[in-house]
Parts: sequence; C-alpha cells; structure tokens
Amino acid sequence: MQLVRMVGLALAVVVALLFAVFVGDQGPWYFAWVVGTVMIVLTASAGAVLFEAQHQGSEVKDI
Amino acid sequence: MHSINPMVVDLSRFQFALTALYHFMFVPLTLGLTFFLAAIETVYVVTGKQVYKDMAQFWGKLFGINFAIGVATGITMEFEFGTNWSMYSHFFGDMFGTPLAIEGLMAFFMESTFVGLMFFGWDRLSRQAHLAVTFLVALGSNLSALWILVANAAMNVPQGAHFDPDTMRMQSDSIVQVIFNPDAQAKFVHTSVAGYVTAAMFVMGISAFYILQGRNKEFAARSFRMAAIFGIISTVAVITLGDVLGRLDYEHQPTKIAAIEGLWENSHPPYEPWLAFAIPDDEKQKNHLEVGIPFVLSPLVTHSFDTTIIGMKELQTQAEPRITSGIQALVALHHYDQTHSATALAEFRAHEADMGFGFLAMKHAPGQDVAAITEDQMQSVVDATKPDILPNVFVTFWSFRIMVVLSLWFFLLFALGAYVSLKNRLNRNHLLLKLCLWSIPLPILATEFGWITAEAGRQPWTVFNFLPTYLSASSHGVSYMVFSLAGFALLYSIFIAAELFLMFKFARLGPEHDAHHAQSASVHVVPDDVFVTGMGD
Repeated sequence: MQLVRMVGLALAVVVALLFAVFVGDQGPWYFAWVVGTVMIVLTASAGAVLFEAQHQGSEVKDI
Repeated sequence: MHSINPMVVDLSRFQFALTALYHFMFVPLTLGLTFFLAAIETVYVVTGKQVYKDMAQFWGKLFGINFAIGVATGITMEFEFGTNWSMYSHFFGDMFGTPLAIEGLMAFFMESTFVGLMFFGWDRLSRQAHLAVTFLVALGSNLSALWILVANAAMNVPQGAHFDPDTMRMQSDSIVQVIFNPDAQAKFVHTSVAGYVTAAMFVMGISAFYILQGRNKEFAARSFRMAAIFGIISTVAVITLGDVLGRLDYEHQPTKIAAIEGLWENSHPPYEPWLAFAIPDDEKQKNHLEVGIPFVLSPLVTHSFDTTIIGMKELQTQAEPRITSGIQALVALHHYDQTHSATALAEFRAHEADMGFGFLAMKHAPGQDVAAITEDQMQSVVDATKPDILPNVFVTFWSFRIMVVLSLWFFLLFALGAYVSLKNRLNRNHLLLKLCLWSIPLPILATEFGWITAEAGRQPWTVFNFLPTYLSASSHGVSYMVFSLAGFALLYSIFIAAELFLMFKFARLGPEHDAHHAQSASVHVVPDDVFVTGMGD
C-alpha cells in the first residue's frame, strides 16, 4: 500500500514538473497565476495562524 | 447586401453591454470568494478550530447566493452571440465557439458538480476531502473565466487563425496559439485576481460591520485579518497585471492605448505628462482642461524614457493607405466570390491584411458597396473613414482613470487594514472600519470600469483590425431590439434586487443565525440553511 502511495506521489511530482516546464515556457502568466494564487491562499492562512498565536490562551479582547 | 441600420447596431451593443455589466457584478465575487473559502478551510484543516468551519460555512452561504444568481445572468449572454451578433458569429464563430464550448463542458460542469459537494458535503466528507472539493470549486470557477477570456483575447489580439475567402470566415489554425495568446494570459490573471480583491473587500467590509456593532468579534477579527492579507497581495498583483496589459495594448492595440491616455498628438518623451485629468473632445479631437504629471507617461506605457507613443491623429494618417488597400481587398474578394479566379484570389491576398479597414470604409461607400466607389470619391471615403478607427476617447479615458484610482484606494485600505489587524488595534479604528464597510461595492465598480476600458477601447472592432462592430450585428428590427432590451433590463434588475436583498439579509443576520439554526436543524429542516447544514440534516 505504501509503495502504491509512493508511486502515486511520484507521478504527481512528475506531472507537476512537466506542467511547470511547459506552462512556465508557453504561458508565463498562467504559471504565475497558479503559483501566485497558492501563495495568496497560504499567506492569508498564515495570517490566521498568526492570529491564533497572538491570542493563544486568552479570550480575544484586543482585535 | 442589405443596408445596415445603425440604430439596430447601437441597440445590440447597448444590450450586450448591459447584460455583460450586469453579469459582471456577480462574477468577481465568485472568482475570489472560492479561493478565500479555500484559505479559510486550509486553516480549519490545520488548526481544527470550529470558528474556521463557521467562517467557511457563513461566507460559503453568501457565495452560494451570489453563485446561483450570477450563473443565471451569464447564460443569456452566450445566446446573444447567435441572436444579436449573427454576422460576428458567422465570421468568428470557429475561433470564438471553441473556448466557449470548453468553458461550458469542462469548467462550468466541474464547478457546478463540486459546488454541490461543497455545500452539502460538510457532514459527509472528511475535512481534507472537503478542502480538496473547495479548491476544485475555486479552480472550476476560475477556469470558466479563463476560457471566456481566451475567447475575448482572440477578439482583441487575433492570432492562431486565418481568413478563408471560400467560407468567408476566420478559421482556426492553432488552438495552442489561441490559448497561450499573451493577451489571454494577462487578461485572465488580471481579471481573476481582481475577483480576489472584490472578495477580500466584501469579507473585510462585512467583518468591519460586525466589529463596529460589537458582534461576532472572534469570527469577524479572523475574517478581517485573512481578508486584509488576501486583499493586499491581490491588489499588488492586479496593478502588476494591469501594467502588463497596458504594455500589450501599446504593442497590439495602439488606438486603445492612445485613447486611454487621451493622446491626440505623438508623445514627446521623456517630458510627456500622464494626464490625471482632462476632458477629451472626440468631435474636435483635442482635450480640454488638461492636468498632467510630467515624465510619467513614457515609462508607464513603454517602460522606457525615450520611446515615442503614437498619437491618435498620426494613427489616423497611418490608417489611410490601409483603408485604400482594404477597399481593394473587398473588391477582389467580391470578384473572387463570383468567379473563383486565381487572379482575383491573388489580388485579394495582396491586400488581405487590410480587409478590416475595407469593411470600415463600406459604411461611407455609395450604397454601402465599396465596388461602387469611383476614383473621384475614393479620397472622400478614406477621409470619412479615418476618424472611425478611433474608439470613444472620453469613455475610454475616464473609465481607465476611475479603475486606476479605485485600485490605488484598495491598496491603501488593505495595507492599513492588514497593519491595524496585525497590531490588534481594529476596535480602536472606527473610521477605518467604516471606510472598509463603505468600500464593499467599489471593487465591483472597478472591474466594471476595467471592462468598459477594455471593450470600449477595442472599438470600432469586434475582431481587432478584422471585423468592425457595425458589421457584426444581426439584422433585427428596432422594435425587436427595444423589446428584448427592456425585457433584459427588467429581468436583470430583478436579479440584482434579489441578490442585494439576500446578501443584506444574511449579512445582517450574521453567523450567529447559522449557529442558532444548526442547533434546531436536528429537529427541523430550515430552508434558509440549506447551504450550511445539508439537505439530509
């Protein structure tokens, strides 16, 4: 089962690399959108995680 | 050939503009809110905190209202191409139809399928699986936009196609060139990310409303924080891609960029000012009351200090030989259509690149027949056609400026919002919170003006340099157009009213309404909560 999972993940990596090479070459702004959108989503998520760290163990009073 | 009634063309244009602008009131929020939901759910998966699930469900419900009404307003537009723009559909259908079909079959089906899972799958899917579904909804909605913008880019910067004189239409050579059209790429990212800005302002504004009212502070503070960060990065991306689009327009659509900048004469780099204010006079071909910022225009448009930007008057002069050549192309094409002779075909091929300018000249030819133009009449037809190559400068100039000013305002507001939120000082900045609340509709306004800039700036063409707008419409009667226009205006106004009513209602009720009804959901099925609790709860 672990081997199947590993092969699946390896395939996903290969597909991602091929996608990056092809789209990065042919459509740089499309590639930028993929990378940028993921970055925007993760940065906004990081902001929320930071919020939790700032208010850890206390009721939210100052927001 | 039948004579073209300009009133029908104007009404067809007005109807398309009306339906497109109505539709685009809903689209940006859908594009952005899906990815914002994905961000919230990512935090829910990572932290396991209930508040993030509540956030995803509440903002998801508002997304659902917007999605349902937005879809309804979009469907009619696809039919409009056939009903009101039959000449365009014949001429360019091969190019335009393919991306539209892919949009319907791939992106829209994907989005619609997963949207069901997203709304009703909260208690049926694992957290991770639900997150994956939300990402797929976001991807599907943005892929929908992608295919529409691929089609739009083919109209603005046609590539990957050729005109076939036997079928009298543009035929696709390379779908890869169509998809990877630089205009499609930049326009897609610009539009998609403008949707992110819209969603961020929507969430930030409603969260500010709760904080001002002292309600749902835990919920609102987190939503505000995420929206401010989501928004500030998105605004930077929107401005960056706006610059890319400006550069592309400079290369491929010089009339559009000259109209955007109100540039009647050639620019004088590096001093040439960027006009912050002016009243362009299309009739007299000059600006009134110009107020400009020196040394900005050349680097802004050309990314250099010494490149001249061609003004609109010079562009008209440059079009003169193309109009003459285009008339020759049409005469040869007509001859070829009747005789299929190699000589006529060779003559047409020699002038083919200017065919669109010949179509423009048709309007001023005797009986709208270019073959009837005598040598004596030629110069007067060319002179009459020259001003037609320009878009409406006043509209293009001002719609661009409104969009730019608004995007700078968003940058400021998101930056302040993110700073104040990170410093945990939100509830001490009531003015900022009020500004966030009042700014909710502004990104929608900015995207509408962005569309007006792009589409009004493309005029007089539906397919740039190939097919003029006045030749693209169907041959309906005026009464038919007035009737359908009134019907659309009425129907879409009802949609807008319904959207506003539902949005205001559920935003005012807030997430505590969901929590209250979730408790009673085990006893009763509450129709209002169908997006949150699922059908079977």
